Amino acid sequence: MSADAPPAPRVFFREAIARALAEEMAREPRLLLLGQDIGAFGGAYREFAGLHARFGAARVRDTPVAESAMVGVAIGAAAAGTRTLVSITYMDFLMLALDPLVNYGAKLRYKTGGQLRAPVVVKTTAGAKGQGVAHAQCLEAWLMGVPGLKVVAPSTPADAYGLLKSALREDGPVVFVDHKRLFPVAGPLPAHEHVTPFGRAQVVRDGRDVTIATHGYMTVVALDAARRLAHEGVSCEVVDLRCLAPLDVGTVAASAARTGALVTLEEGQPSCGVGAEVAFRVRDAVGTLRVARVGALPAPVSSNPVLEAACVPDASRVVETVRRLLDPARRAAPPSEES
Amino acid sequence: MIHRLQVPGPISDVEEVRVLQWHGEPGRAFAPDELIVEVETHKAVVELRAQQPCVLRAILCAEGDWARIGATLALASDDPDEPLPGAPDDAPPLAVAFEVT
Repeated sequence: MSADAPPAPRVFFREAIARALAEEMAREPRLLLLGQDIGAFGGAYREFAGLHARFGAARVRDTPVAESAMVGVAIGAAAAGTRTLVSITYMDFLMLALDPLVNYGAKLRYKTGGQLRAPVVVKTTAGAKGQGVAHAQCLEAWLMGVPGLKVVAPSTPADAYGLLKSALREDGPVVFVDHKRLFPVAGPLPAHEHVTPFGRAQVVRDGRDVTIATHGYMTVVALDAARRLAHEGVSCEVVDLRCLAPLDVGTVAASAARTGALVTLEEGQPSCGVGAEVAFRVRDAVGTLRVARVGALPAPVSSNPVLEAACVPDASRVVETVRRLLDPARRAAPPSEES
Repeated sequence: MIHRLQVPGPISDVEEVRVLQWHGEPGRAFAPDELIVEVETHKAVVELRAQQPCVLRAILCAEGDWARIGATLALASDDPDEPLPGAPDDAPPLAVAFEVT
């Protein structure tokens, strides 16, 4: 792009998804969409709005509430030569579809010696937002360790657009995880068509004292915490992982090597979580490193707003964790020369 | 008296809206319950209807522009020729009804 290009128009998160889908459906006539209420209704978050009218009921198909069948059909259809996006409205219900996704979709190419592939995108919405124990979970860590499966989790409309377009061009299954609290967000989306490659984290705030590695909606929380910590003289570098499998360890490690401290932040459970994996691999790459994890408390997420807020991480918990991690070093360090 | 037409709120989960369509140019008189402007949230269209007779005087947020809850979208007045203030945000709010559809 030229330097004098006009500023990117702002769009709602849902519009970035709808635009990516519309462009890819126009580009690839074999691409089908399956999901509950994605047809004339336009999707739970209106992220499918306009697609049914434009591309018709044969390509934008409403399904029954039957997640295992939905993903099974998507993988079968893909193996037979289509490309398919299947929408699992809430990530909690992806559990019902793990057998076709993990045992069939992720292994299809391997099991058939490359004769069959499953170009399927499972788009699903994670996160706590007042809907209670079984409509609130962030399960992406469960998926990161499945060979043959890729997992992406954007935090901005621009990345939702670019990563979804990349996902729809993959030859194997991809889980695209968005978040309930990202849908009210608006952000810039360049007018020109582009894709965001997998496996590349992004430094979304530069800093020198600590690296915060996170993904999805927690990127918004991390940036909020970083702004607060800046007021007390702590400089946070925030890395948005964007893609969880494959994981861009290099970008996080390069940042952590400079700052010497790493905080991982996720909305899901920290035990065997995204942060556990990131922390281990980054420390393996960097050597000496102070590390702390932030995640949900070990409890179901209540629909009670007070209990929900107590369970999932917020900026205050990130601030407190960073303070605790840095305090001993700051006491031991000579006075900073920087203002 | 001069009034400011502001983005109404609170609307659950909404911090900012995009102006979808104005239903009149500056100078048009609105009767109570007439639709002045439609704005878009992340999941709905919100209609702003006059709750008092008024004349639309100046549009400060064009179609396609973004505005946060409480921001001034336009100025309206009781009489068509009242001089407009230099600081629009100081004007008292115009009474509007809004429905999230």
